Amino acid sequence: MVDPTAAGLLGIAAALAVGLTGIGAALGEQMIGSAAVGAMAEDEGFFGRGLVMTVIPESIVIFGLVVALILLFVTLPTI
Amino acid sequence: MFEPQAMTKVIIAGSKDYMGVVIDALHKHNVMHIVDFVNEDNDFKIGKPYATATKLSERAVSLRSMASYLSITGKEDTPGRHPEDAIADEIDEKTERLSFEVTQVTHNISDIDSRIKDINDKKRLLDPLKSFDLPLDLYGGYRSLAVFVGTAKELPTISDITNDYELETAPYMRGHAIALFVPREFEDDVLKRLQEQGYSALSLPEIQGTPKDILADLDAQLIELETKKETSQEELRTLRERYIDYILASDEYLSIATQKAEAPLRFATTKNAFIIEGWIPTKNLADVQRDVDSVTDGHVMVATDESEQISAEKVPIALENPMPSQPFEVLVKAFALPKYNEIDPTMFVALIYPFLFALMLGDIGYGAVIIGIGLVVQRRLKSKGIRDLARILVYAGVLSVVFGFIYNEFFGVELFGASGLIPSFYAYPMVPRFDNIATLLVFTLVIGILMLTLGYILGFVNEYRQHGVKHAVFTKASWLLLLWGGVLVVIEILPPLTKAAAISISPALLAGFGIAVIGLVLLLVGEGIVGITELPTLLSNVLSYSRLLSIGVSSLGIALAVNKLSYALFFSKGGFFVIFGVILLIIGHAVNTALGILDSGLQSLRLHYVEFFTKFYRGGGMKYRPFGLIRKYTEE
Repeated sequence: MVDPTAAGLLGIAAALAVGLTGIGAALGEQMIGSAAVGAMAEDEGFFGRGLVMTVIPESIVIFGLVVALILLFVTLPTI
Repeated sequence: MFEPQAMTKVIIAGSKDYMGVVIDALHKHNVMHIVDFVNEDNDFKIGKPYATATKLSERAVSLRSMASYLSITGKEDTPGRHPEDAIADEIDEKTERLSFEVTQVTHNISDIDSRIKDINDKKRLLDPLKSFDLPLDLYGGYRSLAVFVGTAKELPTISDITNDYELETAPYMRGHAIALFVPREFEDDVLKRLQEQGYSALSLPEIQGTPKDILADLDAQLIELETKKETSQEELRTLRERYIDYILASDEYLSIATQKAEAPLRFATTKNAFIIEGWIPTKNLADVQRDVDSVTDGHVMVATDESEQISAEKVPIALENPMPSQPFEVLVKAFALPKYNEIDPTMFVALIYPFLFALMLGDIGYGAVIIGIGLVVQRRLKSKGIRDLARILVYAGVLSVVFGFIYNEFFGVELFGASGLIPSFYAYPMVPRFDNIATLLVFTLVIGILMLTLGYILGFVNEYRQHGVKHAVFTKASWLLLLWGGVLVVIEILPPLTKAAAISISPALLAGFGIAVIGLVLLLVGEGIVGITELPTLLSNVLSYSRLLSIGVSSLGIALAVNKLSYALFFSKGGFFVIFGVILLIIGHAVNTALGILDSGLQSLRLHYVEFFTKFYRGGGMKYRPFGLIRKYTEE
């Protein structure tokens, strides 16, 4: 039997993991993105590298997402 | 295949008498990457271009301006090719005639354009007055009367200045059109008042008749001019039809002739001799040597320079991969061209990229859509880079379908099995993603560990070839030992940690520690403290591969949400609502397909660039630019 309070807390934890990391990644990407667009204005060949650099902070969200997935699909069924 | 094309350094030297034929021969082969001669001294000077160069480029400028008038971009396909000699014979006369015909028409058009603009200006001035019946010449020229014609935001109120006035108004736009006649002596006061009320004057053109009649007349003229313009544009199109072949062919002829005429600017010359330095792919060398020999009767020497000291940075790089993996060169080039003594990673990217992409996307429906998009783009678009990307998309789509069968997903819906769309199909073991999060997570980390291992091995090979075995052991083998030592340790201690049990000292754990310590010592010797500070990246590199799971699951989550929403909102209500349900499904899945391509594509690329390439690949090679041109419209 799933304890409703624990399940609810797990849900909130998962939401925080994704939401907060999302904010963090957005802040990082904002800065890199504007710098990358600036570099592209100088040299259009920068597009490929600029794109990749822009997605680098995305790792943080993905880690958050992984944490959320583990909480919801691995931890939740065990309580 | 795993390396850039082999190049041989070549020095061609001979008497200036033979320079022309040598240039022709090199241009025809289109294989020699010429290294520009720059260091002039007392003996060697930069060569002078042939005298024809100036005339050729003038002709090219005028021809290209014709082409732009006729909107010829230079990418059109034309049937058949023009022989070069025929173009050379008639280019002067024909270009002159073409230029005459085209400028006649374009002058005509620009003349019409300026008249149209003129009429539109007049129309704009007269438009506010269209409901006034007063002929235009009566709005001015009085000795005792001042006239104000224009627009105002509010209706003028001047009864406190004088009652002796005549005012015509009509609503116009958001204000009013006004024509106000007052005696001269009140002119200044009235003007001041009007300006306060947002008045702006119109300077009327000098035409006879009422505004309405004039406007009608102007409209008639406008229609006539538009027809004329259409006729002229039609003429231009006919000219384009008639001359496009000729323009494309002679433009190509001029490009080639200019290239040849300006080639000596890249050579070293003395009073009587010339020297060309450059690189030729080793496989083409014999052909070029034979040809140069035969056109010059052996009077020009083609010597190779195979001295070991040539630094790898100076060799131009041409990638050489078998056809199926060729499109992936785009992805490698977008990062950097390899150096001459470096491994060309294209083959590895070709094998791994679509696999990682499909691991994330993994859906029969989306895979099929992506294959379709790739095929259409490949057929419709001509740009080589985009077609290569489309080809990659097709590969990735095919594998996505395969993974879709494994995950048992079709646009997020379970396809086979007891609760699936096709219940009778059980033939193979399936791995639904939501039920196997933990297993798949471990699987993605294993992929990460294997890919990093491959990266370090390739790095070892690169370092070995560039700096010798000692350097390779210190900088690459050390990391490999650390990685695998760490993996052993984690395997041993993670399970007890999660169960809060005691960690038992097993041989595997000790071995893991041992290996990691050896790696650490090697790293310390090789890279010093800086190497130690890099240690955490190893962990984050491996964990980074968990995106293979999470991106895929979020894409599946979006698909599920779209399906459930459209069912709950529309399909469950039946009847007329089914249409909305279908629309929601189409839009939702279209968005998710776009996200799937973008996200899976970029994240897979990132795993290559950031995690994989950094282990072995530096790049920085110079692009191979052979002297010559691929003919499309002409032939020799």
